Amino acid sequence: MNEPALTQKLTSPDEADRYRAVQTLANQGAVSELILALRDESWRVRRDAVNGLARHPDPPGIIVTLLKMLREQHQDIGALNSVIAVMAASNVDVIVPLVELLAGDEADLRIYAALILGHQQDLRATPALLNALDDPDANVRFHAIEALGRLRAAGAVEQLGQLLASGDFFLIFPALEALSRIGEARVASQVVPLLADPLLRAAAVTTLGAVGQTEVVEPLAALLDEPQAPVNEIAAALTAVYDRYDSQFGEGTHIADRTAQAISETGLTRLLDALPNAPAASLPDLARVVGWLEGATTARALAQILSQPAARREVVEALVRHGHHVTDLLITHLQDPDAETRQTVVLALGRIGDPTAVPALIKLLAFDSDLLVPTAGALAQIGDRRAFEPLLELLGHPHAVVRQAVISAINSLGHPEMPARAAHLLQDENPRVRESAARIAGYFGYDECVDLLFAACRDADAAVRQAAVENIVYLEDERVVPTLTAVLGEDEASVRQAAVRALVFVEPRAAWPLLLAALEDDATWVRYFAARVLGQIGFVEAWQPLARLAQADPAFQVRVAAMEGLGALGGVTAVTVLAPFIEAEEPDLARAAVTALGQVAHPAALPPLLSALRHDRPELRLHAISALEQRGGQGTAGALQWTAATDEDESVVQAALTALAELGTAAAVAALVAFTANPARRELCVAALAGLGETQIDWVARGLAHEKTAVRRAVVDALARMKHPYATEQLKQALQDEDTAVRLAAESALAVLGGSSELTIDN
Amino acid sequence: MHFFSETLNLPDSAFKLLRDLIHQRTGIFFEPGKKELLADKLSPLVIERGFASFMDLYYLLKYDNNEADWRQMIDALSVQETYFWREFDQVQALVDEVVPQWASMHPRQTLRIWSAACASGEEPLSIALALNEARWLERLPIEIIASDASQKALTKARQGVYGGRSFRSLPPKLKEKYFTAVPGSNGRQWRIDEKIHGRIRWQLANLVDEADVAELAAPVIFCRNVFIYFSPESVQNTVQRFFARMPTPGYLFIGASESLFRLTTDFALREIGGAFVYVKS
Ligand SMILES: C[S@@+](CC[C@H](N)C(=O)[O-])C[C@H]1O[C@@H](n2cnc3c(N)ncnc32)[C@H](O)[C@@H]1O
Repeated sequence: MNEPALTQKLTSPDEADRYRAVQTLANQGAVSELILALRDESWRVRRDAVNGLARHPDPPGIIVTLLKMLREQHQDIGALNSVIAVMAASNVDVIVPLVELLAGDEADLRIYAALILGHQQDLRATPALLNALDDPDANVRFHAIEALGRLRAAGAVEQLGQLLASGDFFLIFPALEALSRIGEARVASQVVPLLADPLLRAAAVTTLGAVGQTEVVEPLAALLDEPQAPVNEIAAALTAVYDRYDSQFGEGTHIADRTAQAISETGLTRLLDALPNAPAASLPDLARVVGWLEGATTARALAQILSQPAARREVVEALVRHGHHVTDLLITHLQDPDAETRQTVVLALGRIGDPTAVPALIKLLAFDSDLLVPTAGALAQIGDRRAFEPLLELLGHPHAVVRQAVISAINSLGHPEMPARAAHLLQDENPRVRESAARIAGYFGYDECVDLLFAACRDADAAVRQAAVENIVYLEDERVVPTLTAVLGEDEASVRQAAVRALVFVEPRAAWPLLLAALEDDATWVRYFAARVLGQIGFVEAWQPLARLAQADPAFQVRVAAMEGLGALGGVTAVTVLAPFIEAEEPDLARAAVTALGQVAHPAALPPLLSALRHDRPELRLHAISALEQRGGQGTAGALQWTAATDEDESVVQAALTALAELGTAAAVAALVAFTANPARRELCVAALAGLGETQIDWVARGLAHEKTAVRRAVVDALARMKHPYATEQLKQALQDEDTAVRLAAESALAVLGGSSELTIDN
Repeated sequence: MHFFSETLNLPDSAFKLLRDLIHQRTGIFFEPGKKELLADKLSPLVIERGFASFMDLYYLLKYDNNEADWRQMIDALSVQETYFWREFDQVQALVDEVVPQWASMHPRQTLRIWSAACASGEEPLSIALALNEARWLERLPIEIIASDASQKALTKARQGVYGGRSFRSLPPKLKEKYFTAVPGSNGRQWRIDEKIHGRIRWQLANLVDEADVAELAAPVIFCRNVFIYFSPESVQNTVQRFFARMPTPGYLFIGASESLFRLTTDFALREIGGAFVYVKS
C-alpha cells in the first residue's frame, strides 16, 4: 500500500485498521504520519507510533520534525516528550540535537528545545541552558530557567541567583522555583532581600525553606512581625530547614532553639492566632514551630488542637518536650469526649513520666475500660509505686491483652512487696488472677513462689496450668523435667502445647524423648510445636520422625513445621525429603519446601531450588529467589542472572535483580552491570549498583570497559551516584572513553561532584 | 499507636499470606503500608492463643478454619465508626422518594430494607426513625434487616444503648423524643425507644458470602462505609452479588466517599431527591 492510502487508514473508525497502518508506517519510517498517530485514542496505536519513531534511523532529523510539528500543528507536548523519552531510553542521543536547536534561529524552536531538555534528566544540557539565560527572547529565558531547575543543575546557581536582583518578575518567580529544586544553601543570602517585596514574599519564603540553613531562621522569624505575614508558609519553611539540618548534621534542635530566640511577642501571637483556623495540611508544621517555643500559652494553644488528627503527633511531641510543666494541662484533657484524644493524652503523660499524673491515671483505670492498655503502659513508664495496688486489682481482668499490659506494668514497678503478694495471689480464688500471678512469679523466679508454681502446674484451671508450665522452665529446679513429662500426659491440649513449647529451654537430651512422644499426640498444635522445637534444638536423629510427619501428617500446618525442622537440620537426607514438595498442590507446602531448602547449605539443595525458579507459579519463583539469596554459595549468582534475564513476570525479575545486589559478589555485580544494557532494567540496576559498598566499587568500575556503550554510560551514572571518593576516582577513566556520550556524562558528573574538568558539549 | 507490634514482629512474607487470607474471607484488604496496623490488630489474637508468631495464627485460620476463630478475627479487624444521621440526605431520599414510589406500585407488598454493614446499629435505627417520623411504618408493611460480619458489633446493636459520639449529628429534638437516659450513667448512655429498636431484625452476615447475600437481598440496600476497606475486586464482586439478587427496581446506597465509577457494574447512577443512588432498573 502506498503512503497516502495508509495515511487515510489512520483516520479509519476501525481500531484494527489504524493499528495495521501504523505498523506499516513504522516500518517505512514515515515520521509525520507517525507523529499524527500519537493523538490516536487507542493506546495500542499510540504505543506502536512511539516505538516506530524511536526506531527511526535519523534521530536528529526526527527531533527537528517533532519540534516543527509542535509549533505548526499545536501538537501536545506531553506526547512528544514521551517519544523523546523512548528514544533516549533506546540509547539514541537526543541531547546533542536539542542543544543545537537551542542555539538556532527560530525562537519557538528554542523554547521547545529548552522545555524538552528540562525533561531529559541529563546534565550535559546545563551549559547550553545557561547560555540561553541570555537569549533575546524572554520566553526562551523563562523555559531555560525552568529546565535548569528540573535538571537540578547545581552549576546554574550563580546565574539564577543574579536573576533575582533583575527586578523582572517574569523571571524571578521561575528562578525562585528552580533554586528551590536545586537546593543549594549558598543562594539564600540573595533570596532574603526579596522578603521585603509583598508580591514575592511567599515564594521567597518557600525557597528559603527549600535551600536555607541556620542563617535563614532570623529573617523568617522577623517576617512574622509583618501584619500580612504568610504564616503557614513561614512555618513550613522553618520545619523544612529543621528537617534538612537534622538529616545532614543531626542537629535539628539547633534550628528550633534559634527560632525560639528569634521570634518576637508579635510573631508568637501571629502563630497562635493561625493555629485554630489553619488548614489540615499546614497544621503539623505550625504545631511543630509553636512547639519549639516553651511557655504556658503555647502549651495551652497546642492542647486545644489535640483533637485534630492531622497534627496529633506533632502536638504530642511538642507537649512531651514541655515535660512536667504541662502535666496539669494534659490531665484536664483526660476527660475529652473523643476516645482517640484521651488515648493520645495518656500516651503523652506516660512519656513525660511526671508522677503528678499518677492519681488521674489511676482514676482512669477504674472507669475508662477502652484505655486500660495504654493507661497501664503509661503507669509503667512513670514507675510510681502508688499504681501498684490499683494495677494488682486488674490482674483478674477478662481480656488477656489487658492482663498482659498490667503484668508488664507491675513488673516494671519492681515493688518490694511483690514476691509475698505473688505467693498470695497464686492462691487467689479467681483463676485469671492465679494465671497472672504465675506469669509474674515465673518472670522473676521469686523463691517464695517456686513450690506454688509447681503446684499451679496441677491447677484446676487449664489457663493457670498453661501459664505455670510456660514459666517453670526458667527455674533451675530438678522438678522441671518430671513436671513437663507429667503435663504431657494431661487432657487439655492447650497445656500440652505449652509444655512442648517450653521444651526448647530444657537440656536437649532430656527433651528428646518427650518431643518424640509429642509427635504422636492427637492434638494438631502439640505435634506442630513439637516439630518446630525438634528443628530448633537441632538433633540430627530427628530427621526420620520429621520426614514421616512432613510426608504424612493429616494436618498441613504440622507438615509445614516438620519441613522447617528438616531445613534446620540440613544435610542430603533433608533434601531428598523436601525436594518433591516443590511440586505440591498446596501452596503452603511448596513454599515451606523451598524456604527449608534455602536453609540447607549442602550443595544437593541447589538443583531443586533451581527447578523452583522455573515453577509455573510466580509466587513460588519469588520464594525460590529469597531462598537462594539467603543461601548464597556457588551457582546462585548465575541462577539469579538467568531468572532476571528470562522471567516473564516483572516482580520476579525485580526480585532477582535485588537479590543479585544483596548477594553482592563479583559475579553478581558483573551481572547487574550487564543488565544495564536493557533500557527497561537500567534504572533499577543503576540504583542497585549505586547502593553497593566501598569494597564493591572495583567490580562496578570494571563495567567501564564493557563493550556496549549503554552499559558504560550506566556505569558512569552508578559510580557518580555512589558519591564516594574512590568511585569518583574510578569515574575519571571514562574521560578517555571512545564514545562522546560516555565522556560527556563522566565530565558533567565530575563537575557536579566537584572533581574538576570543564563542561563541553562538542568533541 | 502501636502497643504490640514492637514485641511481636510481622515479617513481610507472613503479612502477605495473612493479608491474602483475610481478603479472601472478608473482602477487607490491607495495603502494604498498613502492615503495622494489621500487626497491631492481630497481636492480641496471637497472644491470647498462646502462640509465638503470626504464622501460627495464619495456619490456625487457614487449616483449623474454626468459625469461632474467624469471628474473633473479624471483630479485631472491623472498624465500627458510625453515628446517627450520618450522610442523612440518602435516608431522606429513601423516605421522600423511594418509599412513596414503592407504596404507589405495591401498596400491600412488604418492603424490605437491608442495612448490610450496620456496625453498632446507628444506620438502620436512623432509617427506622426517619420512616417513623414520616409515618411510613404505620402506613406500609416494612421489614428492616440489619446485618454485620462482626459479632461484637451486633451485640452492641442488639443492646440499643448509645453514648455521646453517636449523637453528634442527630437533631436534639429527636434524641429527646426517642431516647431515654440509662439510669446511673450520668447522662453518658442513652437507650433507644423499644418500639423503634424492635422493628429491626439483627443478623450476622458476611458480604463475601454468596448464601448470606442471597438470603438477605432486598429492593433497598444500604451498604455504606464498608467498601473503603475492601479491595476494588471485592467491591466489584459484592456489588455484582447485590445486583444479581435484587429485584427490579432496586436501590443501592453506598457511602459518600465511595464510588463505583472505576468498576463495571450493571447499576445506573441516579440522582434521587438530591442524593446519589445506584439503581437496578
Ligand atoms: C464503618 S462501619 C459502617 C457502619 C455504617 N454502615 C455507616 O456507614 O455508618 C463498617 C462495618 O463493616 C463491617 N464489615 C466489614 N467487612 C464486612 C463483611 N465482609 N461483611 C459484612 N460486614 C462487614 C464491619 O464489621 C463494620 O461494622
